[in-house]
This record gives sequence, C-alpha cells and structure tokens, in this order.
Amino acid sequence: MLLVPCPNCGPRNSADLRYGGESHARPDPATATPQQWRGYLYLRDNPAGWLWETWYCRSGCRRWFTLERNTATNEFRNPPIPGDKRGGKA
Amino acid sequence: MTGIGRRLRRRPPKYSAAALAWRGMRGDYWPRIWRDTELKSSYDAVVIGGGVHGLATAYYLARNHGITNVAVVDKAYLGSGASGRNTAIVRANYLTPEGVAFYDRSLQLYNSMALDLNINVMMSERGHLTLAHNDSSLRTMNWRAEVNKLQGVNSCVIGPDEIKKIAPALDTSSHPRYPILGALYHPPGGVVRHDAVVWGYARAADYMGVEMHQKTEVLDILCEGGDGPDGKGPGGKVVGVRTNRGDISTPVVVNCTAGWAGLISAMAGVRLPITTHPLQAAVTEPVKVFLPTVVVSGSLHVYISQTDRGELVFGAAVDAVATYSIRGSLEFTEELAGHVLELMPGISRMRLLRQWSGLCDMTPDYSPVMGFTPVDGFLVDVGWGTYGFKAAPVSGEQMAEAVATGRTPKLIAPFALSRFDSGELVGEKGAASVGH
Amino acid sequence: MTMSRLAAQPTEVLDRSTKLRFRWNGKRFDGFEGDTIASALAAAGEHVFSRSMKYHRPRGILTADYWDPNLLVQVGDDPNVRAGHRRLEAGMDVRAQNVWPSLHRDIKAANSLVARFLTAGFYYKTFMRPAWLWPTYERVLATFAPGGKIDLDTPHRYHDKRYMHPDVVVAGAGPAGIEAALAAAAAGARVLLVEHEHAVGGHLRYSSSDSDQAVLAELRAALDASDVEVLTNSTVTGRYEDNWLGIVQRNHPIAVERLIKARAKVLVAAPGLIERPYVFSGNDRPGVITSGAARRLINLWGVKPGERAVVFTANSDGDAAAADLARAGVEIAAVIDGRDHRRVSSAQGSSKALQAVVAGGNRIEADLLVVAAGWTAPTSLLNMAGDRPVHDPAAARFFPSDPPGNVLATGGLAGDGTLDELRAHGAATGRLAAQRAAAVAHRLQAMTARARPVDGDEPAWAPDERTPLGRDPHPELYRSDTHGMVDFSEDVGSKDLVAAAHEGYDSVELAKRYTTSTMGPSQGKLETVNTVAAIAEARGETIAQVGTTVWRPPYAPLTLGALAGRVFEPVRVSSIHPWHEANGVSTIIAGQWMRPDHYGDPAAEVRNVRTNVGLIDVTPLGKLDLRGPDIPKLLNLLYTNKWSKLPVGKVRYGMMCSEDGVVLDDGVTGRLGSEHYLMTTTSSGAGGVWEWVENWLQTERPDWKVHVTPVTTAYVSINVAGPKARELVSRVTEGVDLSPESFPYMEVRLATVAGVAGCFMWRIGFTGELSFEIHAPSGHGLHVWEALMDAGQDLGVGPFGLEGQRIMRLEKGHFIVGQDTDGLTLGPSTGLNPLIKLDKDDFAGLPELAWAADRSLPMIVAIQPDDPNVVPDEAGQIVRGDTNEILGRITSARMSPTLGRSICLGQVEPELAAGGTKVTVLLTSGERVSATVMDHHAHFDPAGERLRG
Repeated sequence: MLLVPCPNCGPRNSADLRYGGESHARPDPATATPQQWRGYLYLRDNPAGWLWETWYCRSGCRRWFTLERNTATNEFRNPPIPGDKRGGKA
Repeated sequence: MTGIGRRLRRRPPKYSAAALAWRGMRGDYWPRIWRDTELKSSYDAVVIGGGVHGLATAYYLARNHGITNVAVVDKAYLGSGASGRNTAIVRANYLTPEGVAFYDRSLQLYNSMALDLNINVMMSERGHLTLAHNDSSLRTMNWRAEVNKLQGVNSCVIGPDEIKKIAPALDTSSHPRYPILGALYHPPGGVVRHDAVVWGYARAADYMGVEMHQKTEVLDILCEGGDGPDGKGPGGKVVGVRTNRGDISTPVVVNCTAGWAGLISAMAGVRLPITTHPLQAAVTEPVKVFLPTVVVSGSLHVYISQTDRGELVFGAAVDAVATYSIRGSLEFTEELAGHVLELMPGISRMRLLRQWSGLCDMTPDYSPVMGFTPVDGFLVDVGWGTYGFKAAPVSGEQMAEAVATGRTPKLIAPFALSRFDSGELVGEKGAASVGH
Repeated sequence: MTMSRLAAQPTEVLDRSTKLRFRWNGKRFDGFEGDTIASALAAAGEHVFSRSMKYHRPRGILTADYWDPNLLVQVGDDPNVRAGHRRLEAGMDVRAQNVWPSLHRDIKAANSLVARFLTAGFYYKTFMRPAWLWPTYERVLATFAPGGKIDLDTPHRYHDKRYMHPDVVVAGAGPAGIEAALAAAAAGARVLLVEHEHAVGGHLRYSSSDSDQAVLAELRAALDASDVEVLTNSTVTGRYEDNWLGIVQRNHPIAVERLIKARAKVLVAAPGLIERPYVFSGNDRPGVITSGAARRLINLWGVKPGERAVVFTANSDGDAAAADLARAGVEIAAVIDGRDHRRVSSAQGSSKALQAVVAGGNRIEADLLVVAAGWTAPTSLLNMAGDRPVHDPAAARFFPSDPPGNVLATGGLAGDGTLDELRAHGAATGRLAAQRAAAVAHRLQAMTARARPVDGDEPAWAPDERTPLGRDPHPELYRSDTHGMVDFSEDVGSKDLVAAAHEGYDSVELAKRYTTSTMGPSQGKLETVNTVAAIAEARGETIAQVGTTVWRPPYAPLTLGALAGRVFEPVRVSSIHPWHEANGVSTIIAGQWMRPDHYGDPAAEVRNVRTNVGLIDVTPLGKLDLRGPDIPKLLNLLYTNKWSKLPVGKVRYGMMCSEDGVVLDDGVTGRLGSEHYLMTTTSSGAGGVWEWVENWLQTERPDWKVHVTPVTTAYVSINVAGPKARELVSRVTEGVDLSPESFPYMEVRLATVAGVAGCFMWRIGFTGELSFEIHAPSGHGLHVWEALMDAGQDLGVGPFGLEGQRIMRLEKGHFIVGQDTDGLTLGPSTGLNPLIKLDKDDFAGLPELAWAADRSLPMIVAIQPDDPNVVPDEAGQIVRGDTNEILGRITSARMSPTLGRSICLGQVEPELAAGGTKVTVLLTSGERVSATVMDHHAHFDPAGERLRG
C-alpha cells in the first residue's frame, strides 16, 4: 500500500485516492491535428523512472493534484502540486 | 511436424514413457533442452523477449518459413516474465469476431501442442465459467455467447442450478452480496502448464537452429535513416541491437517484451499507446481437488482454478497504479480473499501460500498492438495486457508470417499500431470488464 | 525410534496437571496443556505423521516447529495444520492427510518402487499419446494432490482487522529482537514486538543453560515493565510499499486468525535463523531430526526423542543437543563432528524407523540421528524490501546486503556473537530504529507541509554506527557423498536437481519451476539453500554465482478468512426501502444499490402508469448540486449541447462524451436560481461524473467559480408518472401552481410536498407520461412516498419498479448509457446529432466528435420484429441473411404491454440504419427472424403529447 502525500490531507494510503495516470497537457481542441489529439488520448511515455502523475484524493479533500513518483521504486519526491495536471511539463 | 523448411540439426531425443523408462534404467541424463551457445555478431532476425510470444515467433519462423538464423534474447531466463507468472488460463470466448477468431486459432494450437512439440503441456480442457452477478453482466455474457456461436466457438449461458452441478463449491443461493445469476460456460476453456509451453517452444526452436540467449539484455536498438536522434524513429530502419554481451547486426527486430514493451520500442524511436501495470496472482496451500473448472467473476475481479497439485490459483484485475515494481501488495490478497469467499464461503480455512506479480502492457482498447511500425524492420507483438498467454501460439504464428512475408496477415490486421492514429479502436473494450 | 515422555524438565512449557484428550486417526490419545499436537503424539510413541507427496514415504518429526514439512495434519475441518506448532486442545480430531487407506498402510507407497522413472518433471515427457487418454491421466495425477480436505460447509466467520501505526515494529522476539524493542521504546518510540512462536525468547527458550534462562527471565521482566506491545504466536507475513506490514495473529481469543495492518516507520527484522537439513541417503527417514528439534522436544515438552542416538554436529547448537540428549538419558552412540570434515552418508532402517547410521564407512546402530548442519537466514522481509542478500561461504549462509534505511536487521540474520553481543546489537538497532522513525515521521510531514506545518528542523538521518556482529566460521554442509531429499514437501531429491541442471534447467528459477523444489508448503524455509547448492554443484559453481530465489510474501501462510475479514461493500438502499419490502417487492442489485425491480407484475405496473398513476423510487439517480456564477460555462464544457441561455426554472437534457468522443453519461440539469443548478446523472455514473466535473474545474478551469456538492443520497427521488399524476401531486403539494401553463414540461420548482419543505420538483420523466419527479430530503423520503400513496388511493396509484420503467422507456425509445451504448459508442451513434454543437469553442470530446461527423458509424435504432410475439434476447445478433456475418445486435428488447407487441433498441451498421430496413435477428434458439428498423426511436407516442399534458 503506497503512502501517497496528499497536499491537503497529508500522507494517505493509496486506496483512499484514485490514480489519474501520467500527467499530460490537453491540446487546444481548436487547432489540434488528429495526430496530436490522439497522442493526448492514447500515447504515454510510460518510463521506468521518475514520472509526473495525477492523483485524486477521493476519500479525503477531493482535490486533484500531481506529483512525481519513480515507477521503478515507487518513491515519491517533491511536494505535490494541487490543481495541476501537467506536472513538470509545459 | 509437417511444416516447410525444417532444418533439423539432429533428431530430438523423443519424450515418451518408453524413453523415460530406458533412461531411468540406465540412469542417463537427458540432453540439454536447448543449447548454450556463443552470441553471434549477426542474425537474420532478433526476437527480444524469451517468453511464450518471443519463443513462439522464433519457432514458427523456423518451422513455417525456414528462417532459422534467429536469436531470442532475454535479460533474465526464459519464461521469467509474464509467461511464468500468469495463471495459465486459455479460452476463446471473446466478444468481438476479430477476438474470437484469433483466440480460437490459439486454442486449436494449444490443443495440438503436446504432439506438435513433443512435450506434455498438460492442456486441461476443464471448462471455463464466467459468472454474472447482475443483469448487465448477464447481458454481456449473452452477447459473448451469441458472437461465439456465430464463430463456431462452444459457449453458452447457463443458470445457477447448472452452475452448482459443475462447481458445487460455488454459493449459488440468493443471499450473497454478489448473487450468481448465471454464467457464460465455455467447455473448451481450461488451463495449460505455462512453463512447459515456454520450454516446449524453446526446445523445438533449438532443434531447428534458433538460438536462445538468456541473461542477454538489450541496451539499445541501432537504427538509421529515421527522423529522430541517432537515425531512430519513423522513416528509419533497424540495423542492429546492442546488448550487454555485444552488438548484433540484424535487419529485423521483433519486440515481444510485454511490460517492458514501451522501453524497448522507445529504443527504436517508436511511441506506443501502452502503460505498464502489475497483475498480481496468488496460490494457496494444496488441498484435495474439489474445483473441477476455471471460475471467473468479472464484477469481483477474480479468477480461480485448482491445479492438479491441489493448490488454488487466484488472479485478479491489474493494479490501478502504473509501475514497473513487482513487489505485490497486501491489499491485493485481502480483496482477493474477500471476493473468493463471496463465491466460495466454505474455503475460509484454506491458507494463502504465496503471492507474486507480473507486468502487463495495457492498451486503451484492451487489444494488442501487432505487426509493423513506422520503423522498417522493427515489429511489435505487444500490448497484450492480461491476455498474452492465451494468445501466444497464434501470435507467434502470425508474427512469423509477417516477418517472413513482409505483409500483415489478415488475422492480426485489426491490431495494427496505426489504429491509434485513425481512432478506430478494437471493440474488445466492451468486454474488458469481464476479464479472464 | 521410540519417543517417550521424560520426567518434568526445568524449562518445559507443560502444565502436567491438565490432561488433554484428543483423537489421532480415530484413536484416543492424551497430552498436556502446553503440548503441541506433535509433541503429544511423540510423547505417546507415535513416530509416523505423514506420507510424502510423490513416493508416499513415511515421514516423522524433522524440525518440531512451525516449519516442519512432515507435520501437516487435518484438525477437524482445518486442513494443513502445523502439528509442530499448533497447541493441543482437548477434543481435537486430528488426522493424517493424503494417505489411503491409512497412514501405516498406504497403497501409493508403491510409487517408491518406480521412483527412478518418476524423476522430476517426468510428466512433461509422457502421457502424450494417445491424446484422448490425457484427461484420464490428469484425473489420476490429481489424486496425488497432497494436503488436507476442505469441508465446503465451513462457514466464513468474518473477523475485523486491526490497524496500527507504530513507530517501530520488531519482527522476532529472540534476545536481539527483545533488546531492540526495549531500546526503541526507551527512546520514546511506540513499539510492536511480533513473535512467531508461542512465547518470547527465541532460542533461549529451549536452552538448558542456567545463565540463558536467567537472561530470558530478565528480558521477560523488562518487557512486562515496558510500553512495548507484544504479540506472540503472530507473524509479520509481509513487508510492502512504505513499510506497510501484514501481521497475522493466531492466538486471538475470538478470531481463528486476525490480520493486523501496520504502517511502521521502521521495521526491525530479527527472525533468527532456521536450521537447515543435511542431504544424504535416507535423510527423510523417521528418526532423522534437526538439533533444534531434539532440544525443543526435550526442553520444551519433556519428550525423549529416542533411545540411542548418533549426533552429527558442525556447530555449538549440535553440541548442545548432544548434551541435552545425554542428560535426557539418550545413549549417545556416536558424535560425528562436521567441523572435522566427517560426514554422515546414510540413514538406514525399515520403511518406518531408523536402525543404523553409516558414517565414514562405519555402520552405527541407532534409532535417532540428530543433525546440526548449519543455518538458513530467513531473509524474506529484507527481500520484500528490495534487498538482495549475499552468500558468505565462510559462514555458510546468506547475509543482508543493503536493505533500505527504514528496514534494519539484527540477531542471527545480521551475524553471530555471544549472547551479550547479540543483545548489544539488538539494543543498538532499537536505538537507531527510534531515531530513524522520528526522521521518517518528519519527512512525511514535510512532503505535505500544506496539510500540517512541520515542527522544527528535520532530524538528521541517523547513520548506522552499530558495531557489526561477527560471522562464525561454519563448514559448508549441504550434501554428503550420497543423494537425499532436498524438498521434503515436494519429494524433490538432490538427484532430481542435478538431473534438471544437466538437462538445461540450470538457473535456480528454471530448476525450481521444473522440479517444483521450494514450491510446496514450506516455501523454501528449509530447502532453498540446499536447492541452490545442488545446482551449484552440478554446474561446478559457487552458491553466490548461482544466486538465490526471491522469497515472496507471505512469510507464513495465513487463512483466506483472516485476509478477507468483512467485505466492506455494503448495499445501498433508499429510505423508502422498508415500504418496498412490506409491499412484496422483488429487488435487483444495480451497482451499489438494491432497487425495486417490480412488485409482482411489471406489465400491470406499466398499464397502471399508462392509465392511472404510478410511483417509482429512483433515488440512486446521481445528483450534483452546483453553485456559482460560472456554471453555464461548465455545462457548456461538459455537455455536447448549449447551456448559456437556460432560464431560471428550466430544465434541459444533455449528453456527455469523453475526450475520445464516446458517450459517457446523460441526464437533465435544471436551473434553480441565478447561480444554483441541480445536475442529474445516470445512477451508475454518479460517482464517476462527480470526479470528472471536479477534474475539469480543478485542473483545466481553476479560475471558474463553481462549487460542486454531491447530493445523491441527501435526497430521495420519486417519479410520479401517469395521466393522473398532476391530480395526485396537487393533493400533497403547497406553494406551486401545477397547471400546465405555469409549470410546463421541462421545468423545475421548489415545493413543499406532504408538509416537507425544500423539495425539488421537476416536470420530467423517463416513461413518456405526464411526470413529476420529486427530490425530497432523504430523512423525509418514506413520509413523502407514503403521503403520495395515501393521497392517491382513489386514483388507482400504485408503485412501479425498474422493470416497468425499463419497458416504458423502451416504448419511448430512450437509450440507456452502458446498455444501448458500449465503450466505443461515439456521440453521433445515439442519433442525437442536434444535441452535438460542433460550433461551440470547446467541450469534452469536441475534436473527435467533429471528425466523427464525416465517418459512417454504427447507429442506435428502434427495431420491431415482424412477428409481434417474438421478443429477441438482449444481445441477439443481427446478421446478414443466412450468413454468420454480424451487422449489429439487439441491445434492449421487451414485450410492450401498451402496444401488445415486441419492441427493441439495437445497434446496427450504418447501411441498416434507415427506417424501413429489413434486418435478420438471430435468436438464441438459433432461429432467424425478420425485423424492421423504425423511422424514429419512440415506439409509442412519438410526438410526446402525453408527457407534455
């Protein structure tokens, strides 16, 4: 059971949260090409290492936030960013 | 074996009761199941991943197409990944016509595998029950049964009384939280000894000249002409593979690395619609055999079978959180036990003996990604998620055909990587909730 | 071998004044309070406890503790009970497992005659021809399954679990573990000490040394005086992410077993060492036991393990066993010292008892062979923390390499030493654990400082400055000059492993899979190192080169009952449910809810709604209360249609799509005030849509001012439907003019219903009839329902359930998300194109829906079978003529009581979507019937006159 650092509730068991997956920016729907949009929908970096990802504190403060986790070791680093979706990306 | 282009190095020492007795009398060891050879500097094709998919691909390349100058490389030992960690269930009762046709062919190959490969893979055609606990899953069961029937696959929806006859351990009374309203019954489904499939393919491929290289980790894929850095990426072509044991030149690389598929593809500059999630499983201590079929509940995310050794083997849905760590979790065993006891309350005194975890390459439409990529000579057989073992024989057969002919075989055309550009996904997503 | 009870021993754990009577294989036996099942039987002279898995060889005591692979028995309906560990209770019905017809006359023992052909993996090489016989072979093989029997009538009595948040958990209460716990507690940490055995003390418990006993007494007293919580007969079964620990407590007063979950800041692993059997011919014969077994039998339970013993010893524990044996009156025929390169070659005798030991070419008559050949370090918890222990050949065991900083090892796992040195190491470990626990707590807090300010500076991460324990030299004793048993549970011998290595299964993992060594109930505790050693020997490599297998959780097996506990998946019911139950409801489980399906005759319920008036409880309908100035923007973003101009008091239908254009949910949203809306969702989508809304608001449009409150369960929802609905509702409603002019279709009002203020009333419905949907505060739900029922007696009011509603919605052609749509159904397939406003700047799924406009997609259509009496099955396939080509499917089908004919919704390929198209429907019976695609979705009242009434 991962201990996820929620920015509002403090460390929480991962069962109390929903995992939102890899953080990524939503392209502008007015200008996105099919390739860009489907990249947003389907393609993922899926690295074995540090990854910005999204969580939702379902049973607690009900905030979406991003944080950085190492997918090889499941360690977290850096304080989580509430209301963020893009993580470290522009 | 009646394939074309067989190039036997020597006659395989045949496995049989008589041979077993003869060697037993003389106290002889059997010869090595596959050779231990030096890594060459060049192959006609390199298959990355020594699991059932990679080995089947190599086997069919040799057997059906006479392409034997092939290396299968694995960073650990053969069958060390999902091939040895799955729950060994096979079935063909899928939802879409594409899926049914594909898995039906796989099941046929499993049924003849013991004789084809001359190793007893212990195909146990014991029947497969997918339970429905509400009217919507019952509707999906009916849907699957209808599609299956049209494809000539034996499956039908049965009610609680018949379920009780087939698997008396199930609680078919009306009071549980998850009442058993019916089930999709698929008599040809069953279990196979997964390790024997790995060893059988490796042994048969070895005899035709394919080389198996364990502890050989791919560090990079060498490309030229591509759009990306180092000649990688779309428009380029594969020229070789860099391993921890040296460089190999090859015009063809087949990626069969399941959970690591994204990392390997990235080495060729190919991005995949894949995230890696662990799939956990567990086994109990043995007790006398009481469960004759495979039992699956989609709503409860659990599948159960009892081995001939008496252990109950449990599986579940993939973990929600993407990770490459395969440590497993306590909550998995808790939820599993809770759900198993919902179905079979009488086994609460059985003890959980061991849990483990493997990595699954999940795609958005719960269907694989197979065939050619924008990098010439780089083929993928990935995205198998939780279904890989069931599909191994037919995947190997079809991927070998793709490599040998340079064309995408009809059976795997729906699973092309390009579908994620066109947005025309495979409909198996509708059945994904019903699991194994 | 003849075991018997000795006179009282000073260290014994027996209460000889309390006799316990029990049964073993149907015969009556007596033991004492404090006995294990095995010690009581041994004291009574029993020496065969089980038969081996493959060859059905008789097996006796080997280690006399939890890990003894030969002591698995059935106790009542409890299979695979560890008789070496389980305390004897009066009245126990103990039976040998896996024997037929009896333990002493077992027919399958004939297998040992053909053992040379039943080499490891023999089954992979045979039983292939003829193929049709394999199922028969399989059935026969399955009869060899070992283990006890399950009684399927055993009830699952749930036990609640316990959660703990200790600073330090110490796994193992030997002298080092106890000192660690005491030191950590003294440093201010909250400490939990978990001991696998029935009492603390580790190896001191069965030491006959006075000084050891004095230390034990001192440690026990210190524990009693401390704040350390001690759990005995409990095991840390697993170490998971971030020191999440599973602990099984086997001595709970009520539960058979209880699962404890603890989030430890620091874990101290102090499990001690497990004695390793030695591999030689006959090493599994009853009468061959480990030195620990001998000492436990004598010192804990006063059991004399034999009359004449050979002791093979390579360490001080073996020497101590020899002394204990002599003191117990066992004649020592020989002591063979493994440190002098002397070996035991074979144990000989009858099938059931040892008669002689061959060592150095000499045959020594004996009925007992005690073996002290070395140790296995149970590094499981370290493995689970990611450590890869390394083998030290000089000490002949594995040692930790580099566990993470919040996992510390002490005791035998960490090294050797005098008792004082072990205690000192334990105490230093405890102090370090307490320091690091404080730092871990601080770090966690710092990561989430927004939640709770950090107190003070982060304590330094205490460096490991413990004086390391030494490593006693120990001869590498794995196999003698003969072959013997390696895995006692699985009947795998060293010969099998050597053969497997020669055959190419030459890595540990391959050999393990091929031979099944370490795969049985003992899970490698006794046999892992000997397995690796056999492969190393065959390959001519060292153990370190071959490597070891990864120990996986659980460390000790635990029951499914303990893991399951109570299933926390309650069924939700509305506050009206008692009324439903009192009125003959037939319920249906839908998601988390138990809902009224019907009250006996759904068709009659439909007719009543169409002619009079009916009530349905639709409480599970998802309801989100929205407040704020930017709600129209939010609705424009989430729904495919437009919301900017919705006046107060009006209601609008909307469809939501995901970003890939697939239909996600639908429902109506009404404007209650200038900045107050109520959104409804499908019942199953309630939770998901809420998260979806929050996600958009928080991450994409954080500047928008909208506050969302889920109110699904705060309100009971009742739909009053039928031509007489207005008359009925008017009788109980105050403050709202219900006339069609002032409260028309698709509007919403705040009303007082049956005296309950604050009810929302909508003029909407799924049935196609004049409808009022009332959302009343949950606590008053039953009252409002009953008031409506009472008020409508003369109008013929009656309840209707989900089935009736489904029939009526199908008559009206309304699709259900998730039934008539699936995971790939794009918005335009619903036929609701006018509701997809591609000219909006943005909304979820816009690009895909824009591109989909040019694609020809499968369509949802209404279908009527040409034979009005044929109701196709939901999921019935639509095929091309007589072929098996699938062109669509029936997604909903019912007999319409209103129309007196069958009606359907289905999804079809675009070529079949035009009204009037004839299609072929395949029934489950195999019959093909013809049907017609309708012009519009509604089978009944397509103009919608009734609902506007």
